[in-house]
Amino acid sequence: MDKNKKKWTVVVLLGVLSAGLLALACWWSVQYNDARLVAPTDLSTYVFRVQDLPMLLAGTLFTLYILSLVVLLLRGILTRKHQERLTTRSLNPKLGFLGLLGFLGFAGFWSYPAHQDVTPFVFFLFFGLFGFFYEGKLSNTFMDERFLENRLRAQHTAMRVGFGLLFLVLILAGQGRFLGSLEYSFIALLIAVSLVLGLVLFLSEYLLYRYDHDEEQE
Amino acid sequence: MPDFQCKLKQYRQQKGLTQEQLALQVGVRRETIMRLEKAQYNPSLKLAIDISRAVEAPIEEIFLFD
Repeated sequence: MDKNKKKWTVVVLLGVLSAGLLALACWWSVQYNDARLVAPTDLSTYVFRVQDLPMLLAGTLFTLYILSLVVLLLRGILTRKHQERLTTRSLNPKLGFLGLLGFLGFAGFWSYPAHQDVTPFVFFLFFGLFGFFYEGKLSNTFMDERFLENRLRAQHTAMRVGFGLLFLVLILAGQGRFLGSLEYSFIALLIAVSLVLGLVLFLSEYLLYRYDHDEEQE
Repeated sequence: MPDFQCKLKQYRQQKGLTQEQLALQVGVRRETIMRLEKAQYNPSLKLAIDISRAVEAPIEEIFLFD
């Protein structure tokens, strides 16, 4: 942790140094070099002058600093991904309350007649976020082979239920006479698909928790 | 899942290991060892070999398939 702090202090100091040098070079160029390379420059007609050196060096240094920041960021992301593979992600179960956003889907019943807008129906998908209640309870769990097996089993069951329901809805909607209008059929289909996707998201987490938890109870 | 008997508990206790210690040695959760001892979980070949090495007993004596 201490090593990490030192590393980031050096990174910040280098950033301040390179930005400071660039600012200094800009000031020097504006004061003594006709603002060359500070004001917009047409590089096709550019001719090198020794007086341009401070700007060129400071600019190169700053560019190198930005590039190294990008490399550090990418390395950080890759390392974190590797670490996350061993345990489940840390999540507060209270995030499950985000599932309440699913109720915004009912706004579609107002927006469609008022503005012919069906997009609020997509919010029904957010009911799936209730699954965070269960995912949160399994936070930081070491993912051994049994856990991974259970996760696959849960996802498989959730998908099977989801596809089954979608198939039924498609058969009904495909009749064309569902709700007496093709337009309403498509809206019903959009609602059903959103709800089914939400259900699949929720079921994957719920079933995983149940498989894992029930086994621990035994 | 095929029916099998598991004598892991017996071999683990002979080695003087707790479930937690064995789990750490073979890189699984304690709950997995618990399930294995109750013959409620069919392990992968790698895990079976790791367990067999940890308790120093042949696989076919730990896991008895019909």
